Amino acid sequence: MLQFIIRRTLSMLATFFVVSVIIFLMMHAIPGGPFDGYEMPLPDNIKAKLMAQLGLDKPLWEQYLRYMWGVFHLDFGVPYQSPGETVMGLIAHAWVPSLVLGGLGVLIGAPIGILLGMAAALNRNSWIDYLASGIATLGLTIPVFVISTLLILVFAVWLHWTPASGWGEPRRWILPIMAYAAVPLATYARYARSAMLDTLNKPFVTVLRAKGLSERRIIFQHVLRNSAIPMITIFLPMFVGIATGSIFVEAIFRVPGLGAYFVSSIQKRDYPLEMALMLMISALFCISYLISDILYALLNPRIRLGGKAR
Amino acid sequence: MTDLSAASPALPRPDSAKRRSPLYLARRRFAANKAALGAGIVLVIIILLAIFAPLISRTGPNDQAFLTKSLAFPSSEHWFGIDDLGRDFFTRIIYGARVSLGIGLSAAVFSLVLGLPLGALAGYLGGRFDWAIMRIIELFSVVPPLLAALLLATLTRGGVWAIVLIAGLFGWVNVCLLVRAQVKSFREKEFIMAAQALGASPWHIVWRHLIPNSVSPVIVGFVLAIPLAMMLEASLSFLGIGVQPPTPSWGQMINVGMNFMYFYWHMAVFPVLALAVTILAASLLGDGLRDALDPTLKGR
Repeated sequence: MLQFIIRRTLSMLATFFVVSVIIFLMMHAIPGGPFDGYEMPLPDNIKAKLMAQLGLDKPLWEQYLRYMWGVFHLDFGVPYQSPGETVMGLIAHAWVPSLVLGGLGVLIGAPIGILLGMAAALNRNSWIDYLASGIATLGLTIPVFVISTLLILVFAVWLHWTPASGWGEPRRWILPIMAYAAVPLATYARYARSAMLDTLNKPFVTVLRAKGLSERRIIFQHVLRNSAIPMITIFLPMFVGIATGSIFVEAIFRVPGLGAYFVSSIQKRDYPLEMALMLMISALFCISYLISDILYALLNPRIRLGGKAR
Repeated sequence: MTDLSAASPALPRPDSAKRRSPLYLARRRFAANKAALGAGIVLVIIILLAIFAPLISRTGPNDQAFLTKSLAFPSSEHWFGIDDLGRDFFTRIIYGARVSLGIGLSAAVFSLVLGLPLGALAGYLGGRFDWAIMRIIELFSVVPPLLAALLLATLTRGGVWAIVLIAGLFGWVNVCLLVRAQVKSFREKEFIMAAQALGASPWHIVWRHLIPNSVSPVIVGFVLAIPLAMMLEASLSFLGIGVQPPTPSWGQMINVGMNFMYFYWHMAVFPVLALAVTILAASLLGDGLRDALDPTLKGR
């Protein structure tokens, strides 16, 4: 088991290293620098001085090493768009809205999805099965900005129940949370349904039925436990994906979160902020995959003994 | 099937036996799936609207023919109303279908060109090549696709072909995995061993035996790549770094419509519905084809 954890960790570290190099190179391939603005053209010698001050005149590999050295000390530099702050500080306060709205979205959407999927699996080909499949398909295929636009139209413009956008008092959180909840709800409705059906078709369930166990005990004590494994393992990557903010939800509902800063960092060619966001989100995905792989192995002895996770 | 019955004419042959080819069974499973069938019909209608757009609408997509009636609500004359710049909105929507579907199809072709050979070789060769491909795919799973696409789009300054390229770059992974799984399961079959024993080169085996046997995952991968690419195009255009105006694109129209939504609902509702219906139809069709062509994949 320890060997498995070490191997997965090393492989994830290697993946992260390659991703960080690719992101670094891509960032430097973007045409135009931070001092090429139209409003205030700077003389060439001043531009060179500024570049030297920020270490932008060094060879690429040295810039990369210096940068990664800083990253390991949680120093991502200073964002070009607001030099009074550090990138770390900016991210820390921009993350709050994303984490609150996205986190609540997952925590509300996932349980509803699981219940819906379970109900669908236990009543195959009934109306609830069709409802669950319909919701799952809609939630997974329709882009989130379409859902968000429809939410605003219906609840804010036509019904006047909620404010349309903004960040502040919790009344404004309702619509973005609903938009965030759509994906986890749909994912879990589909996952829970197929995981339950998979387990229900296993021979051991037939054996339990033949032994005369009550249907309730079969489902709660055996089927639920066995089908929980895949549901637990997809939770973390999904949580990371949603709680790091959606560019669209934040743009549409005007929430000052990570997604909003990502868009502004691209528009303003703010390398340090852009790099930090890309690196951080990739790192979180790496860690979440690693943890789910290990969790999966811990929960499922067949994988553990086979020694391979995928 | 036919030469077999010619060789043994004495055998009584039930009528249905001839028609029970794999393709026939797939067709029957597809026809039984009402959602997929409906989605297919909707998609065909949208494709026809896109192809014959110049015949359906009297004005071009960029003609500001109704400037005096700008932002007019839907009427019997203008089904979807007029937009802020005096253009017939229905015309813009059906021309938008051309952009959306065009990009979806080209990106799917590109995903296939990348994913099919790589998946087939990875599945057949195994070993180091397979390992390398799987590590590359792992890289793609760690980087959030939309953020990377956003970055790439600024890098290439947007435009239709840049979007096709980016969508293909992220779309090949699915095709590759589907083909790889199919090829892997065929690698140990007797007819492949026979070909190997006869001295066929790996390339010949992959090209003549394994790829023709992977038709179903290829079709499924192709169809499912279309809505993904359409979604990416709409997302990038929504953020203003995709298809540039005045070329009509649904994502771009939604972005504009957001600003007018509070007073002129038609500006937001129609592009949102057009995009949602098309993407939904394409995904349902893909799911239906997957279930029809390969019942063992169902529900994955």
